[in-house]
Amino acid sequence: MASFERASPALKEILLRIYNAEKPIEVDYHLYEFGSVEYHIKSSVSEPQVTYLSISTPFLSQGVFLSYGLSPFTLKMVRQISTDVLHIVEPANDGYQLTLRLDFSKLPHNKESLKIITEVSSVQAVILSSQLKEMLQNVNSWDSSQAMYKPIKLIYHPKEPFYVIRQPQKIVAVFPMRFKDNSDVIIATSFFQELMDVVSLKKWAKVPPCNWSPIPPLELRGESFEDLSTNGGFVSFDISSHHVEGKRLDKTVWSLLNFYAYVKHHVKCTRGFIQRRMRRRLDNLVEVLEKSRVEDGQIKKVQGWRKMRKMVGSKSKMIKRRWGDLGKKIKRIRFRIKIHGFARFRRRWLTVPSFSSSTAYTKLQTNGNNN
Amino acid sequence: MPFMTSPELLLNPVLICRNEAEKCLIETSINSLRISLKVKQADELENILAKKFLRFLSMRAEAFQVLRRKPVQGYDISFLITNYHCEELQKQKLIDFIVQFMEDIDKEISELKMSVSTRGRLVATEFLKQF
Repeated sequence: MASFERASPALKEILLRIYNAEKPIEVDYHLYEFGSVEYHIKSSVSEPQVTYLSISTPFLSQGVFLSYGLSPFTLKMVRQISTDVLHIVEPANDGYQLTLRLDFSKLPHNKESLKIITEVSSVQAVILSSQLKEMLQNVNSWDSSQAMYKPIKLIYHPKEPFYVIRQPQKIVAVFPMRFKDNSDVIIATSFFQELMDVVSLKKWAKVPPCNWSPIPPLELRGESFEDLSTNGGFVSFDISSHHVEGKRLDKTVWSLLNFYAYVKHHVKCTRGFIQRRMRRRLDNLVEVLEKSRVEDGQIKKVQGWRKMRKMVGSKSKMIKRRWGDLGKKIKRIRFRIKIHGFARFRRRWLTVPSFSSSTAYTKLQTNGNNN
Repeated sequence: MPFMTSPELLLNPVLICRNEAEKCLIETSINSLRISLKVKQADELENILAKKFLRFLSMRAEAFQVLRRKPVQGYDISFLITNYHCEELQKQKLIDFIVQFMEDIDKEISELKMSVSTRGRLVATEFLKQF
């Protein structure tokens, strides 16, 4: 399963380097992630155990939170990361929404220290998820006399907004899905249909009901055309009160925030899988074709009787040799009287011509059927 | 292949259809043969899988020698077998290869479709476990 880590790997590495340094080091790093998140890490030799971490991140919902900064609920979530090590500096540094003072002397000298540093590195995820948690926590506090709430547009991934709409007894999260490639759309649509099938099973009765539709749901009518024009349809999850009880709240929020990334990751992995399968099949087919090739080794050209003689078995060799010897003996007996020039005359006019036989030709031999 | 200049060298083409979506066209001449196949594509997923796979093979046509880079219009993939190929390759095995190729295409597309659906289901299950 894809693991979407909350902690920023670069930030974690820098904090660990500062914590594990043998001597106090001067650090002043600016770190940028995802194009819009900025970290400023500062540590000086004069305060060796203290590091200042400032964060600037776009909020989930620009309209609601921008004018008020971080909500008290968000600040409370951040403090809960570690009450001993982490202190919020107010006001925050210029250009940042939050500045933290990290006291590494308060870190325990065991594996806990790594866990705390990892949680500090996930402060950006904490800020964003706390905003969604605040919305989801009051699922049942909807007043029936009020009109339907307007959809709230949230942006976790750039250019991929999703909507949260409050309804009686539930909150609906709607994800407009967009893909660059038509084949991605079809793979994703197949995934959404499987998701709906799985959710409809009795075994998964406790998970948020899921629905996919190629057209925008009724609740989103009225939103801008740009936001509603998609090629992958709309996926919606109905979040009710038991999905946000206790520890489930954090898991539900994190799953919703990473739904886009999850789908994109699945589509990418599926494409890679298809590519590997095709390559394997290609290799198999080429192998089959190569077997039909006529190899050079299978063609045997035989020229003259001498070469053929080597291929004849040893028994027939012996018989021929013996016959040859006998023939010579007979000739010697017959031709005791020597006549000058007669041998030449005999060779030219009296020898029987040898007809073409299996011992003197060029034969093309192949393994399979020939034409 | 004698097409434009010598039409008298072309023999009658043969079209074998299983149905409207699956057919095989065999065009022959005195020294070569062109076999074009249209593969079954029941839905959108099979459509993109067939397109991807056959395009993948066509782009690597040099590995097959007898495969054309561009299929005949109206078909998904085409073979061109010339007299030179018949000298380098054993005829019977070449025929076996073409038949196996056709069977493997259908089999591969069906298996890919099933694998994509199975993967989707597994991934959906893992996603829902988080709630």
